[in-house]
Amino acid sequence: MKPVNAMPAALAAPRPGRAQPFADVVAENLDAVYRYLVYLTGDRVAAEDLASETFEKAYRGWRRFDPQRGAPRTWLCRIAHSVAVDWFRAEARRQRREDNYMRDAAMLEESVFGDGFSPELDQALHRLTPAEREVVALRVLLELDGPSAARVLGISQTACSSRLSRALQRLEEEVGDVRR
Amino acid sequence: MSAGDFEGHESLIAQLRAGTLDAPDHVHRRVLALGQGKRARVPMSRRRKLFILVPVAATLAVTAAVIHGAFSSGANPNASAAAVEFRHGRNQPVAGAAGATGARGPTGAQGPTGTAGPSGPNGGTGATGPTGTVYDANQQSPAGAQGALEPLHRSADTAKRTLSSTPESLLIPTHRLVHAVASLEVAVPSHGALTRATNKATEIVTQLGGYAQTSQYDASRSGPGNAFLDLRVPIGKAESAIRMLGGLGRLLFQSVTTKDLQQTATQQTTLVGQLQRAITIYEQALQSGTLSGSQRVEVQIRLAEAQHQLTATRKAHGRTLASGRTAEIQLRLTSRNHHAVVATPHARGRLSRLLHNAAGFLGLEAVIVLYALIVAIPIVLLIAIVWWLMRERRRREEKLLASA
Repeated sequence: MKPVNAMPAALAAPRPGRAQPFADVVAENLDAVYRYLVYLTGDRVAAEDLASETFEKAYRGWRRFDPQRGAPRTWLCRIAHSVAVDWFRAEARRQRREDNYMRDAAMLEESVFGDGFSPELDQALHRLTPAEREVVALRVLLELDGPSAARVLGISQTACSSRLSRALQRLEEEVGDVRR
Repeated sequence: MSAGDFEGHESLIAQLRAGTLDAPDHVHRRVLALGQGKRARVPMSRRRKLFILVPVAATLAVTAAVIHGAFSSGANPNASAAAVEFRHGRNQPVAGAAGATGARGPTGAQGPTGTAGPSGPNGGTGATGPTGTVYDANQQSPAGAQGALEPLHRSADTAKRTLSSTPESLLIPTHRLVHAVASLEVAVPSHGALTRATNKATEIVTQLGGYAQTSQYDASRSGPGNAFLDLRVPIGKAESAIRMLGGLGRLLFQSVTTKDLQQTATQQTTLVGQLQRAITIYEQALQSGTLSGSQRVEVQIRLAEAQHQLTATRKAHGRTLASGRTAEIQLRLTSRNHHAVVATPHARGRLSRLLHNAAGFLGLEAVIVLYALIVAIPIVLLIAIVWWLMRERRRREEKLLASA
């Protein structure tokens, strides 16, 4: 977690009726949201932009956030999910227009999903679908509980659980394949 | 549940969690810069908004109802032709004083106690006083429209005083050519007064340069009497005539309709000019002798048509001008006792009337809200269905994108 320096007054001031100012929420969740977006998109550069966009949206909607309905992290992940879906949509259109093989190949050369990962794990993660990586990110890295993750994904808890199980199983297989 | 989900993958989970992946510093800076320059707004939840909006809307509705009730309860409900009577109340000898009682003005207009004239300022006994007595007071009183009911040998300056004491309530434009039609219904207290008022009406219009086109007088010994007069006065004197005729008794009804004739007259004048020029051209063409036989016939036909049209337009123009010069006034004088019909006891006080009117207005508001809901619900349902379909489509798309 990075320290928050030179925090703007608008962010630092707690809103009436809230225990936590927005700046604290940023400090606590920015890395997690970024990690989630990296897993979801498989693209660090895109994840940076999307993280910024997510927090911009979150800041605009901060007055509507109801802490009783869920944790800030869940709420931020839902926003990030929505932002990422829009990105996927735009990306699908773009990919139809141009071949981005070279970029993908270049991305594979460096570790995308985490510093200190073995190349096998990184490649295996890359082979998963975004949906599979997303559930892994939410449940494993961000440590959201089942209901929260299901809410972010817009699916039932059972479906979320099944998706996670499938994703982990496939990740194990992919790591094994890469090693072989 | 968590433990179960990760069962058998502990090593993989540990590897995944061991990796570090933090947002770069520039992302931190970018996100933290979001709040700079923006003023933090006070958050307001939907529930809180609802808690504020509902009482505000209810308060506004009740306030509107109370204001409506207060305004509408100001006038006495016993008055049937309140607006007209209010305006002309001052014509009445005692009603003028009664008008000062404000809310009870119409009561005053009913003619409070001619015999008890001095009690006029209170205007209180009008409801009980017989109508005949009221109009006797008109005759006794020195000012106001009672002058019209006085013997016909009254001098012209009496009429002037009547005019000057009458409020300016009607405006007939004199700077443009207009046709005005007025209808007046005036109640007089007795058969004798009816005769005098009929004669006085004719005298008034004659003095103003007009005339009575038709006059009908019906009276029997037992029943009510009526007189119908179809009067014509110069348009410039119409307002005066209406005021003076309205002062012949108690004004029950008054209607003035004006129609602007200026544009019609201008169009007719223009057409006359055009036709005259056309006729001159045709005549010159015929006199030139350069036309062939068939052309000559055609021009002659056109000339005849133009001359015919010119005659008709001139006549119409003359009618328009005549119509704009005179105003029609249909005057009905009656000796029927209207008070007996409209007078009802003061069963309710002002507060009671206010509450009654406010409740009625609230009911009206409720009906409007209900109507709006009936109209809005299908639209809202339709929007909800469209929204739901779009959401489902979006979800399907998301699923496809995420699994790609």
